[in-house]
Amino acid sequence: MTQPHEVEILLVEDNPSDAELTLRALKQRNLANQVFVCHDGAEALEFFFGDGSHALREIGVVPKVILLDLKLPKVDGLEVLRRLKEEARTKSIPVVVLTSSREEPDIARAYRLGANSYIVKPVDFEAFARAVSDVGLYWLLLNHPPR
Amino acid sequence: MTRLPRDWSIERKLPSFFSALLLVVVLVMLGAAYQQVRTAALTFASERVKRSTKEWVNASLRSTAQQRTQLATLVGDPGIRDFVASKGTRGRDWALAAMRRVAPDNAPNVAMELWDTGGHRLVLRGDSAFASDPAPLPASDSGVVSPYRVQHDTLLLSDMQAVVRQGTEGAVIGRVVVIRRLNVSAVARQTLTGISGGDMSLLIGNAAGDPWTDLEKIIPAPPAAVRVVHDSAIAVSYERGDAKIGAAARIPGTPIMFISELSRRQVLAPTRVYLRRMSLIAAVIVLVGALGAWWVSRRITKPLRHLTTAAAAIASGELAQHVDIPGTDELGRLGRSFNVMASEVQRARSNLEHQVAERTQALRETNAELEAFSYSVSHDLRAPLRAIHGFARILLEDHGAELQPEAKRVLGVIDENTRRMGQLIDDLLAFSRLGRKELETGRVDMTDLVRSVADEVRRTAGDRPLEITIGPLPPARGDRDMLRQAVTNLLDNAAKFTRRRAPGQIEVGHRADGAETVYYVKDNGAGFDPRYAGKLFGVFQRLHRAEEFEGTGVGLAIVQRVVQRHGGRVWAEGQLEAGATFFFTLRGASDA
Repeated sequence: MTQPHEVEILLVEDNPSDAELTLRALKQRNLANQVFVCHDGAEALEFFFGDGSHALREIGVVPKVILLDLKLPKVDGLEVLRRLKEEARTKSIPVVVLTSSREEPDIARAYRLGANSYIVKPVDFEAFARAVSDVGLYWLLLNHPPR
Repeated sequence: MTRLPRDWSIERKLPSFFSALLLVVVLVMLGAAYQQVRTAALTFASERVKRSTKEWVNASLRSTAQQRTQLATLVGDPGIRDFVASKGTRGRDWALAAMRRVAPDNAPNVAMELWDTGGHRLVLRGDSAFASDPAPLPASDSGVVSPYRVQHDTLLLSDMQAVVRQGTEGAVIGRVVVIRRLNVSAVARQTLTGISGGDMSLLIGNAAGDPWTDLEKIIPAPPAAVRVVHDSAIAVSYERGDAKIGAAARIPGTPIMFISELSRRQVLAPTRVYLRRMSLIAAVIVLVGALGAWWVSRRITKPLRHLTTAAAAIASGELAQHVDIPGTDELGRLGRSFNVMASEVQRARSNLEHQVAERTQALRETNAELEAFSYSVSHDLRAPLRAIHGFARILLEDHGAELQPEAKRVLGVIDENTRRMGQLIDDLLAFSRLGRKELETGRVDMTDLVRSVADEVRRTAGDRPLEITIGPLPPARGDRDMLRQAVTNLLDNAAKFTRRRAPGQIEVGHRADGAETVYYVKDNGAGFDPRYAGKLFGVFQRLHRAEEFEGTGVGLAIVQRVVQRHGGRVWAEGQLEAGATFFFTLRGASDA
């Protein structure tokens, strides 16, 4: 498993199947080495704002992109998104909402809270793999974050 | 007469009607009363002139009879007979004394004469200025009164004569003539008319004609109409200078006639005064009546106005209305009923609002549940499906080399079915979302919309020959996104079912149908059995097997839901292998 200080992609996903499929898609593009997976919203918050008890907190580590599911145990994705975009330190990290929900209100709220992309996970695996790897490529290789 | 405007209010109609009625009644009564008073005045005047004439005639008759008796005594006197028989040669003093006894030297007698049969005047006593000259015509009997004659233009004279006989039944030997003068002067007139009341005129003259006098001066004879002698005195109307009412009567046994007359104008003067006073009173009555009617109508219409205002307020939604109409009459009862009704309406409304709020809340809860359900379906159903599909693919990709062909085929079936299940979930969610989404209504250019959808369909169709003709379409009023969805589904459908035609032909057009526009999408595709036309628009209803034409059976259900949410209708016509036409109606963009 990748160490926190090397993280380039933070994947917040509670469904292990989806997580595995996502990692596989990223791996096909050789993007899977720097991926760190959080399994619920609380873990994601711990990663950035925690007291270190879970050994996740690593001050100064800034992933290049966060892939965020919305439907998460404990703290849901929209809440995580809100907290991230409130904090100056994490505000500029691109957040791609990667979810099964096609519901308009979810999409609208996610963008209102500052999501940078909203991607509906297709059922079709090829389409899903294409979407995930495109996102990874775009945010890691093509996008230039502010220095 | 101009027609009254129809929108005259009761407040104006009632007093106007009442005043007009009052005016008519008062005028009729005034007219009738005036007529009666006038008739009474005329009757009274007639009675007066009749009575006056009768009295004058009676008085004259008495004095004439007295003079006749005196004259008979005189001519029967032996001394007079002897004097006449001697042709005035003997007993002259005796005769003069006898004559003085019979007719004193005072008015109206002004002279007395004795004539013999030879036409010689034997004696003249009194004023010689009034003497007969020549001798008056001989009278055949005693006590005959002559008509009046005028002397010196101002004097009216009449004489009475009687014959003197030789012995009691002997031959006529002479005559006695008494000449009487009628006093004509202002004083005389005033004295005499004063007896009958100052307004009455007394006329005396010959029944046969001139001369006549009103006792002040000589006047022309009154009209013959009034001088006709009747059995009893009657009053007649006639003109003499002005309109008069008079009664005439002759003194019996003489040619002399009396007329008492009144001026009609004077007789009717009091009735005119009466008319003036009564008119004034009538005007006051009408005025008071009109004011009263106005007051009454105000009393009626004021509460009505209150009611009207309150009712209008209720009609416009302000339910808290209360009218204050005191009294126990019909209006008061109406007011109380109105208040009860208003509060009932208010109560019912608030009940209704309460119920609506409750139901709305319930609906909202149901809707929220439904949303949560959809969310779960969307999220929780898709995730495992994605896993099945994903891991089946991984199995095929990573371990494909180790698998038997049959195992690969089974994996392919799993792959295909998970794909279809995914599509089914997506369509189902789209369909349920359609029912919950708010309509964002606006003007939609249908030609534009259909054209852009057709471009997409053509792109999807690839190289397949597909002709899409789009007629000019009138704009519609509706939610652009939803209508786009419906049109997309219809064109996709048409493209799908014309797949085996070369070329596939699709026509989009319209026709007007009253306020609605009927749009249609016609194709030359596989068509359908018209017996199942009713099933076309049901969710998950399919008329073709999946091997022939793929699909979930939600597309047309979405079309139907979109059109119905816009208040339109949707239907289809077609034959197996002979194409299909789908119709839907929408309101025009110009409608509000």
